[in-house]
Amino acid sequence: MLVIGERINGMFKDIANAIKTGDPTAVQEWAKRQEDNGAAWLDINCGPASDDPVSHMKWLVEVTQEVAKAPLALDSTNYDAIEAGLEICKQPPLINSVPAEWPKMERVFEMAAKYEAGVVGLAMNEQGIPKDAESRVALAMELCAAADSYGVPMEDLYIDPLVLPCNVGQDHGPEALETIRQVKTLADPPPRTTVGLSNISQGTKNRELINRTFAVMGIAMGLDTAVADADDDELMEAIACARIIMNLDIYCDSFVEVYKDRW
Amino acid sequence: MGLTGLQIFKLLPKTNCGECDLPTCMAFAMALAQGKTSLDMCPYVSDEAKEQLESAAAPPIKKVTVGTGEFTRAIGDETEIFRHDKRFFNETILAIEVKDTDDVDAKCENFNDLKFERIGMEFVVDAVAVVNDSGDADKFKSAVETAVNKTERCLVLMSEDVDAMAKALEVAADRKPLIYAATNDNYEKMVELAKEKGCPLAVRGNGLMDTAELVDKVVAAGHKDLVIDPGSREMSQTLADLSQIRRAALRRVRTFGYPSMAVTTKEDPMEENSEATVYMSNYAQLIVMKTDEKAALVPLVSWRLNLYTDPQKPIAVEPGLYEVGEVNPDSPVYVTTNFSLTYFIVEGEVEGSKIPSYIISVDTDGISVLTAWADNKFSGDIIAKYIKDLGLEEKVNHKKIVIPGGVAVISGKLEDESGWEVIVGPREASGIPKFAREKFGK
Amino acid sequence: MAFNIVKEKYRNKISQVTIGATKEEGGTRTSTVTIGGEEALPYLHFEGNIPNRPVTALEVWDIAPPGWNECFNQYYGDVYNDVGEWARKCVEEYGAEMICLRLKGADPDEDNRSADECEAALKKVLDSVGVPIIVLGCGKFEKDNEIFMKVAESGAGENLLMGVAEQENYKTLTAAALGYKHAIIAQSPIDINIAKQLNIMIGEMNFDTDRIVMDPTIAAVGYGIEYGYSIMQRARFGALGGDKAMAKPMIGNIGWEVWKTKEANAPVSDFPEWGEQEPRGINWEIVTATSLLCAGLNIAVLRHPSSLAVVKKTIDDLMKPNSY
Ligand code: SF4
Repeated sequence: MLVIGERINGMFKDIANAIKTGDPTAVQEWAKRQEDNGAAWLDINCGPASDDPVSHMKWLVEVTQEVAKAPLALDSTNYDAIEAGLEICKQPPLINSVPAEWPKMERVFEMAAKYEAGVVGLAMNEQGIPKDAESRVALAMELCAAADSYGVPMEDLYIDPLVLPCNVGQDHGPEALETIRQVKTLADPPPRTTVGLSNISQGTKNRELINRTFAVMGIAMGLDTAVADADDDELMEAIACARIIMNLDIYCDSFVEVYKDRW
Repeated sequence: MGLTGLQIFKLLPKTNCGECDLPTCMAFAMALAQGKTSLDMCPYVSDEAKEQLESAAAPPIKKVTVGTGEFTRAIGDETEIFRHDKRFFNETILAIEVKDTDDVDAKCENFNDLKFERIGMEFVVDAVAVVNDSGDADKFKSAVETAVNKTERCLVLMSEDVDAMAKALEVAADRKPLIYAATNDNYEKMVELAKEKGCPLAVRGNGLMDTAELVDKVVAAGHKDLVIDPGSREMSQTLADLSQIRRAALRRVRTFGYPSMAVTTKEDPMEENSEATVYMSNYAQLIVMKTDEKAALVPLVSWRLNLYTDPQKPIAVEPGLYEVGEVNPDSPVYVTTNFSLTYFIVEGEVEGSKIPSYIISVDTDGISVLTAWADNKFSGDIIAKYIKDLGLEEKVNHKKIVIPGGVAVISGKLEDESGWEVIVGPREASGIPKFAREKFGK
Repeated sequence: MAFNIVKEKYRNKISQVTIGATKEEGGTRTSTVTIGGEEALPYLHFEGNIPNRPVTALEVWDIAPPGWNECFNQYYGDVYNDVGEWARKCVEEYGAEMICLRLKGADPDEDNRSADECEAALKKVLDSVGVPIIVLGCGKFEKDNEIFMKVAESGAGENLLMGVAEQENYKTLTAAALGYKHAIIAQSPIDINIAKQLNIMIGEMNFDTDRIVMDPTIAAVGYGIEYGYSIMQRARFGALGGDKAMAKPMIGNIGWEVWKTKEANAPVSDFPEWGEQEPRGINWEIVTATSLLCAGLNIAVLRHPSSLAVVKKTIDDLMKPNSY
């Protein structure tokens, strides 16, 4: 599993403040820090409070790219903001995200094909998040078929089964994991998979332990990526270890360092 | 692996009529992929789609058989890009060109002689490729006839002239030769011929795209025992084309779901050998080449054996007593396993010690020293018994045996069981020369 | 049918290593070589840039090599005792792009030559040819550690490729190469995990890991080459997928391995069905080298002039573009 660093998000005070004041220091610090600790992408999200997502997205993309080499994940429900980001990304980013709904899929997959970007596809639709794996997989299939029809290769589609906090939505845990496993059988080559990792531990005690345990279980089911806290060393170590056990990386004694030093 | 939901969905009418008892075509596709329904539940699947679905369930690369009898060779049926992911299965067929303008008799005689023994195994070069160099149909036929009579190994018939091919097949068809080749100009008739005679057919286009179209036409004309020649005669492009064909086939692009082949272009036998090595390493399942020199073919065939070895099942050498150098009754005796890599390394180092020696290769089912020891296949009693079976006592006038340093623990048992003095050798084979000089040097 | 070319996308590329230094760069070489930098699997030019061709080297020894097959006498017999002339012949007559100097004379079991004598051998080679130089120790740890520092020092500025660092013995060589700015060969015993770890350990000594050339230890065809071959393929595929610790160019001592085998050396009278000895040995080198090139080999160290000529031509052909 590779990590999409979650920290450049207007939900966090320092980032919100950076956006407000136009001082890129906090953004750039987090960009470097996450990259150094092994993040393969950097998530860029202006946050819910942004009053001008289009220009805020552009600004965040610009200042992040000044210091980081990693590709970005443009995280917004405002597709104009995403398109504004796509235009200036130096390498193909991820579009985060689209649900299995028309006409949203049309807009997003068209952009993805045009900019050769990846897409995070959410296993949900107008009716919300299904409870069981079977319905989630059905929505994943709709995302696959839609992506395919726009010429977006399966390797560029990242299905998110959607994870709920394990204290309130405990019954969703196994369903999300089973979804990951089944999604891998939908096409050949299969689509990729992703989750918003910290969702699993919202409002719980001992969040880091829950996060990394879920990450490891996800990897065993075929989880390729996660929006997560790249600054959490124990998480990164657990991921490095799970990758070795799943034969995703070549073992060597320094496997943890190698994983973090990937990019 | 069966079909995926996406593959099936793309072939459905997408009308969501519900007659299959499922709400949508997509639901039907997913149910079918999971084996929860059957294709005939949907009345609207076109025949073409049906055929595609059925063929998509077949192995990604079709198995094609050439020749008859003892020398029948199968190619195709491969599943991997890299041998280390599982293994390569069916060894590349090496075909040696004989022109119908050559002394076919003598050439075939020489070809028959292309068999050799190495590491206790027998190797033969697989096929004669008779080339219609003269452009004359009768001459081709008579050359083919000579080859048919001379050799029992596989045949490749190389002519684009349909009449010449028809004539040659009169005398060769029951040997199931590979017909080379259907091209854009002749494919209708070549396919007819191949179908009628039940022979595999090579399809040669001009480059990959053209080849793809030609293969589809040939398949549409009803023949599916195919070998694909992408037609490039440039090493780098051929390598790329062969890789594309393998990748596409494994991604279930049916057009390329057949074994592929290459024809060398180099005139110099050594350059040609290098060229053939490139194609063999890059998925060619049949190579037509000119050289019939043993000195070139022995290493090429050895590479083929290595490339197609099952990585899970290492090559073993024949267990037994081996002599390194001019041995005499005073020569030291080393013991190791019959895992080929271990054995060869030990042999190389013993040779490097420049002291003629015996090496006993114990039958450990081809596994290495420590694994064999852990598995109880390299224990004191087994080795003791083997020393006796080999009659070692009559060969040497001492009763000393050197064991690998890693299994020093078996010394006691081995001494007790065999009555031989056990000398613990170095842990790594690389220590043998120094060890040998100190122990056995004059 | 409309058929889509399958192009893989990779996130990483192989590190690029330059060996040799010209006058302007502080050395005395008339040419340098640069290897590595691949952005695609071997020779799939259509899917990524392959900026540098693999190079060939011929192997010379600082002593007349005991036990080389007699067929080499006609090429090197007159220069066996003069390593400078030997190297010159390899470059000028036979077209070697690099010289691989093996300091076998230092081996306590051969001539047990001193560090000074090793230095002199290197100087001779440096004086007689302008191509970049690979220097290998004698293979005995203790002795190599006695000579490495001196050799590195006397080659200062020349940007040598020095070998070999092994898991059990890498510190002295790494320190020597670090001090005098040479590139290094990291050799692992047909073990991909050790190959990776060794690169990291060398890096932990503050050596720039982009100056490492990996030697995964190859064998000759018929002698377990498939192990090294698969390790090279795994390393290369992993490297392109993002495994930086594996993203190094690779070297193989092909001549050394091939000319140890019975198949290269046995006279035709011993094995009539194997064909003539000398062409057989040459072909053994060619098939070994070519197959490893297909797995990603960047430096082929060969022994026979004819093998070198053929392998160079094959490299020319492999480096021609392919596209769709
Ligand atoms: S019967 Fe066929 S066309 Fe109708 S919904 Fe089922 S799969 Fe689709």
